[in-house]
Amino acid sequence: MLVYTLRRLLAFPATLLLVSVICFAIIQLAPGSFTDRYLEDPRMSPASVARIRGQLGLDKPMHEQYFMWIKGIVTRGDFGHAFGANRPVTTVIGERLWWTIVVAGITMLFAWLIAVPLGIFTALRRNGVTDALASFIGYVGLAIPDFLIALLLVALVLQTGGTNVGGLFSPRYIAAPWSWDKLVDFLNHMWIPILAIGTNSIAGVMRQMRANLLDVLNADYVRTARSKGISERRVINRHAVRNAINPLVSLAGISLPELINGTIIASIVLNLPTIGPLLYDSLVNKDQYVAMALLLLSSLLLIVGNLLADLALAWVDPRIRYG
Amino acid sequence: MRRMLVVLIVAAALAGTAVAQPKVMSLPELGIVPGTAGGTLTLSLGSAPPSFFYYGQIDNAVQALTAQTFDPLLEFNLANYELEPALAASWSVSDDGLVYTLNLREGVTWHDGVPFTADDVVFTFEQVITNPETRAGDSAQFTYTVDGEPRQVTFEAVDEHTVVFTLPAPSAAFLLNLRAFYMMPKHKLESIAAAGGDAINGAWPTTGPLTDVVGTGPFMYDNYVAGQLVSLKRNPNYWKVDEAGTSLPYVENLEYLVVGGTEAQTAQFLAGNIDALNISGAQFPNFKEQELAGGGFTVVVNEALFGSPPHLAFNFDDPTLGAAFSRTDFRRAIEYAVDRHRVIDDVYNGLATLPGTPTAPANGAFYEDTTGLMHMFDLETAASELDALGYVDSDGDGIRNLPDGGPNLEFALTYASDSQVFTDIATIIQNDFAQIGVKADLQAVLNSALLGTGLAGEYQAIIVALGNQPDPELRKPIWQPGGSLYYWHRSTQPQTEGGPVNFDAMEDWERRIYEIFDTGTVNVDAEARAAAYREWQVLNAENVPVIMIAKPSNIAAVYDRVGNFVYNLGVIPGYNPVPLYFVD
Repeated sequence: MLVYTLRRLLAFPATLLLVSVICFAIIQLAPGSFTDRYLEDPRMSPASVARIRGQLGLDKPMHEQYFMWIKGIVTRGDFGHAFGANRPVTTVIGERLWWTIVVAGITMLFAWLIAVPLGIFTALRRNGVTDALASFIGYVGLAIPDFLIALLLVALVLQTGGTNVGGLFSPRYIAAPWSWDKLVDFLNHMWIPILAIGTNSIAGVMRQMRANLLDVLNADYVRTARSKGISERRVINRHAVRNAINPLVSLAGISLPELINGTIIASIVLNLPTIGPLLYDSLVNKDQYVAMALLLLSSLLLIVGNLLADLALAWVDPRIRYG
Repeated sequence: MRRMLVVLIVAAALAGTAVAQPKVMSLPELGIVPGTAGGTLTLSLGSAPPSFFYYGQIDNAVQALTAQTFDPLLEFNLANYELEPALAASWSVSDDGLVYTLNLREGVTWHDGVPFTADDVVFTFEQVITNPETRAGDSAQFTYTVDGEPRQVTFEAVDEHTVVFTLPAPSAAFLLNLRAFYMMPKHKLESIAAAGGDAINGAWPTTGPLTDVVGTGPFMYDNYVAGQLVSLKRNPNYWKVDEAGTSLPYVENLEYLVVGGTEAQTAQFLAGNIDALNISGAQFPNFKEQELAGGGFTVVVNEALFGSPPHLAFNFDDPTLGAAFSRTDFRRAIEYAVDRHRVIDDVYNGLATLPGTPTAPANGAFYEDTTGLMHMFDLETAASELDALGYVDSDGDGIRNLPDGGPNLEFALTYASDSQVFTDIATIIQNDFAQIGVKADLQAVLNSALLGTGLAGEYQAIIVALGNQPDPELRKPIWQPGGSLYYWHRSTQPQTEGGPVNFDAMEDWERRIYEIFDTGTVNVDAEARAAAYREWQVLNAENVPVIMIAKPSNIAAVYDRVGNFVYNLGVIPGYNPVPLYFVD
């Protein structure tokens, strides 16, 4: 196991390097550069724009910019300079990282807390009315884009005269110290993102859980447990579900990059200070080092997520061992 | 008795030096009334500020914040855009137009209590504005070419309250240019400017102490929550008062919520979290409906001076169709197919007017009414004119060809896809052109890439909107042939970096416009200058270098609790009505 883990860890740097080269090349392929935004302002002369390009290192050839950036990461942990924010990329991302984890974490938790029991329920009451209803609602949630749900919920809130439309807090609580009222206000604002982003994953997880449980319920050891006289409830909870949930661990691991990518559009619409809008803005404005760092982060989360999922699977299921 | 006399005399002397020269804001023509002090006003920023240093980057958020916390030397009269004293209480110009003497307002202090003096002005111009390293400085503005040599404007602090600017050549719009620059505190920025190089752009980061960011403006920085909220509080020693002598600004706290995106801003406004919001003609019906249903706010419409009218441009140098695009008669014929009134009615919901060419109709000093010269929408005339010029369908595929069996009159029409207005205008134009046998293929780019695409010449036809300014000279790089933003006829631009403008590529009317802008810079006779710029607009209308489409009105939605509301873009230096607002 240890050897296996070490082997996987060694593959990290090579994979990340390859990802960074591809991302950098693709970003450079887009025409224009960050300094294009300066051209319309009457204060900017072509000479000033040229000087700014020099200051930002944009006048150097592509591969030289890339090597300088990689060198910065490896030797100083410096992920480059954010052009728009005019400070190191690490501070720009770090500022938003905490809220991203909170928002994505809560929405994922909510989605799973609903989807898994619903999956169990629909597996046990297979082909019944509840099964059809739950599946239908799940698929509707999957089909409607998350930003549309967000906009509809915002419109609903406005109709009923509410003021918690977007953002994380009401204006008067933004700068206030943490208190019970502030927590209530936070939850009051969070339910829209939770519903909008969470409903997307409910259908997938629910159906997966349902399928796994159905498989397990047909297994021999479940039949044996029942014939031993164990109550149906204990059979389900102690034996069936615990085995059925294993593949979902993999699903959870692969969902880790959703922390960044899954919330982009909904965050823009709902004005949440998370990483998603940062990635979108940096790609649109060609703020290249921010975009690169975020894409690397996304790849890192995917690789780490996969590794953790595989390890967790091996830990949970004694039948699985890696060579 | 004697002691009392001494005390009285000393008290009188001290009172005289307190706030020696407040400016009285009196604007009855805008409906300004004395307001009540106190309360909180909440506005919005479209994005978080990258830093609090205005000259470190070009960014809308920091521009909006700086408009409230700093002052320029001169400012606009809010009603008629005439130049008025701001930090400079009075000024005089020498007869030869080379020496400008500005007398600074006395009794002005920075937010930390340090007095504002001429040293701050000279520091701002020498170390910040004309410093080649500052990213949002403007050293080109203060460098004049005299006899082929670049010469700098010099700045001198004659005494504590007098600054002298010496120009190498006369410049008619010099004072207007001065209005665009906010004054910075020497005692806070001196050390970082002295560090040299790129360091100055890192001044006043958002992670630093707010007490460092001191200005002379109506509000000062109070708190910043990263990415969410900027709180400003009232400057009790501000140098403006209202007619009754009450110190401005009225409101106690000015908060800026960071809300990105039109939908999110609209939602926050309708929820009552923002007090005033600038909206577009497309949003007008929705807002007006809510207003009439008792939303508690009012939709305010007025004619715009600033703000960008869209135009349709053809690439004179296009390799395939440049032979047609560069001809005035072709552009004049095609102008008949541009339905301006439909754009005004359908895209802007009626909240727009016919444009100037290109000066805004609201610009009383310079606007020339050329609507009589414009070719108004008439598809039949467009078709017959194109026929007469030889653009007929010679190969029978339904699309006109260039004369003598040339290529199809089919081209890419580039527009900004993330703007509903541009998308609608492009679609209308495409449809109308199709009816006269001209095929426009829609080509989408993002708004942020639009001007870059134009400047690189990577287009055939393009819809762009460039802003208006009170003085045409401030838009010279756009409208003077060969200018850096004269993007529809790039062959007139210097062919080598820093080289001369390419006169050979210019048409006669372009040469005349070039002269008008050149003399407009130095001509100090205001009437002759205005007459020349009017001639320029007539030339534009007759030769349509670009086809101006419409001038959108300025629209804002503001809650009834806000008094003395005057529309403003928020980022124009020298135009700040916010100190006059009050809340109930």
